[in-house]
Amino acid sequence: MKKSVLLAAALSAAALVGGCSEKEVEPGSIAGFDEGETYIEMWVYTIEDTPEGEACKESVEKFNEAFNGKYFANVEFIPRNDNGGGYSDKINASVMSGDLPDVITVDGPNISAYAANGIIQPLAELTDEEKGAYLESIIDQGTIDGKLYALGAMESSVGLYYNKDILAEAGIEVPDADHPWTWTEFTQILEKLKPVMEAKNGYPIDMTFPVGETSIYLYAPFIWANGGDLVSPDGLTADGYFNSEQNVKTMEYFKMLADKGYMSRTPIEQLFESGRAAFKIDGAWEVNTIYESYPDIHLGVAPYVVGDNWNGEKYAPSGSWAYAATTNTKHLEASTELVKWISGTDSSMLLFEKYKSLPSTYEAYERIKEFSEDENYRALYVQLRDYGHPRPKTPVYPQVSTVFQQTLEDVALSGMDAREELDKSVERINAKLSRYNRNNE
Amino acid sequence: MSFFGPALVLLTIFLFLPMILTLIFSFTDYFALNPDLTHFTGLGNYISIFKDEMFLKAFINTVKFVIIIVPLQGGGALALALLINRVTYCKKYFKVAFFVPVVMSLAVVSTLWMQIYSPEGILNTLLGKVGIAPQPFIHGANQALPAIAIMSSWQGMGYQMIIFLGGLQAINPGLYEAAEMDHASAWKKFKDITLPELKPLCVFVFITITIGAFKMIVQPMVMTGGGPSHSTYTLVYDIYETGTVNWEIGLASTMAIVFIAFVVVLTVVQTILTRDKEDKEEKNDTYKKAKAH
Repeated sequence: MKKSVLLAAALSAAALVGGCSEKEVEPGSIAGFDEGETYIEMWVYTIEDTPEGEACKESVEKFNEAFNGKYFANVEFIPRNDNGGGYSDKINASVMSGDLPDVITVDGPNISAYAANGIIQPLAELTDEEKGAYLESIIDQGTIDGKLYALGAMESSVGLYYNKDILAEAGIEVPDADHPWTWTEFTQILEKLKPVMEAKNGYPIDMTFPVGETSIYLYAPFIWANGGDLVSPDGLTADGYFNSEQNVKTMEYFKMLADKGYMSRTPIEQLFESGRAAFKIDGAWEVNTIYESYPDIHLGVAPYVVGDNWNGEKYAPSGSWAYAATTNTKHLEASTELVKWISGTDSSMLLFEKYKSLPSTYEAYERIKEFSEDENYRALYVQLRDYGHPRPKTPVYPQVSTVFQQTLEDVALSGMDAREELDKSVERINAKLSRYNRNNE
Repeated sequence: MSFFGPALVLLTIFLFLPMILTLIFSFTDYFALNPDLTHFTGLGNYISIFKDEMFLKAFINTVKFVIIIVPLQGGGALALALLINRVTYCKKYFKVAFFVPVVMSLAVVSTLWMQIYSPEGILNTLLGKVGIAPQPFIHGANQALPAIAIMSSWQGMGYQMIIFLGGLQAINPGLYEAAEMDHASAWKKFKDITLPELKPLCVFVFITITIGAFKMIVQPMVMTGGGPSHSTYTLVYDIYETGTVNWEIGLASTMAIVFIAFVVVLTVVQTILTRDKEDKEEKNDTYKKAKAH
């Protein structure tokens, strides 16, 4: 037990330095917090005076009005940076010192890790009706081992955008969401577009493999749409999944796109926006960007491309930040109420209004007129509703995400052998997983 | 004692204690999301990082970076100092102009240079004008690291330039006058007067550049994310990824300790090597003088 003595010494030293004592918030010390109300503290990753932060603040204010006399929620804004630092550093430090608030925001794919390490707990029971209000992808993302841990206030998706004028010029018809192009069909279309685009000093498709979370978000759907997966269903091994036969084929498909010159090997800015690409793969925000800044582009959204043997399985990109109750909270009921409120229809609509993020509930989509009137928003919604697939659920998700991007880049752009790289990746992922497999023994 | 008391307290809290904790954590499997499950693993981490392909790759990349940047930045700074020392007009302007990048944040400089290095950016456009095909620069596995090194040396050079400039101005003009009487060429004057006089400064400059280069992380983080194909993945980047993104504080601490040990050893070796030469030269000089008398 020497280790625990030393660790305790280290921890207490750290605690002493940090000077963290559990602070009790007294009624009246914060405006609006009255005697008899249950106090709930929530941490969010946004910056207070951004559209996203404002929407969050407004939703919490409305929550406090609605539950006046019963609950009082206080929100603290802890900005994160692009690499996930800031906010998550604060969470990590608070896990160590035991200072976590009642409710925190968790990025979708980190729900597994937070649940596996006992940072968040399942929410109080929701009725079927309450659950049914949310998109399947929201419930799916928040559920680990059959228990619902988190609910998101927003969804996100990725579109296969196309330039209507260019496709019309080439005489290409776009299918509906239930009959997406298969890889073979899509390759033929790209081949047809190649001379057209070369004349415009461009490429058939504007896509890159950027470092960070974007790549897995954008391209893991190609894996799922080809009958592959990234990790086992329990999330505890990658062997036989990440390096499957199907995935070798998928990686080779990306390599072909680069080798045949359908995409640029180096990222060119505003390729699609300047009319020099027929297609573009990017997040849902692209719709708003095009509408606001590039009104000359006639934008369309085509369904995401699928493998040749696709049979209607879910495969489309989905998932975003969600709210969850920590294991530290003594008020699970109150925390669950807050999570439901902040991820509910009204909050979701407010977020769309200010930030243009896709909502989380069916009702919100019905009430926001863009989703019935604007064909592009409608297409993104339908794709998400019918085919949304969560990112892999594994406690070592960050490693999976990093390794996926690197494999993609190594195979597609640097021409390395797909099978060899995928096997190496499995080793790297499983090395991180050994911690969880050891704990299970 | 009371004189440096406040400093000592602050240093203890923010420097010594974290250092000691890092050393302790380096022998554990401390995991940020679950500190309760921490075990002592002895030298396990130390053994595993030397088997870790990524760590070794990061190590090699960092060494490559140092090898490129030390002569580039040191030599560049010396050249700039010599030039500025010569000009008689707008001296202040040149000094400030070359020093400005040092004051700028590395993240800002990196973002600027991403535009310069972009496939259809300013540099490729210029190259195109003289008939050279567009280069991938930071998007090519072979060019990314040198491209970042060139940018970094441009950014950091101004600082060492000022140091060299100070050194140049401290050289006794009498030495040059004497040399001129003997009709020494400009090269001879540089080789036999300027360089030997600047020698102590050179040692300092090379050591600071080396240490700074080893700590490189911002540029790849902003510009390439460690890619393409890990060609710009550095040691500190690996430590950051392991500790912050993958939550493995124990392993990251081990990497940090190995990193510090390596830099310390390198610095000591560098100092000993350069000092030895100086001593020898001093002995030589006294020997020559004695002979002349």
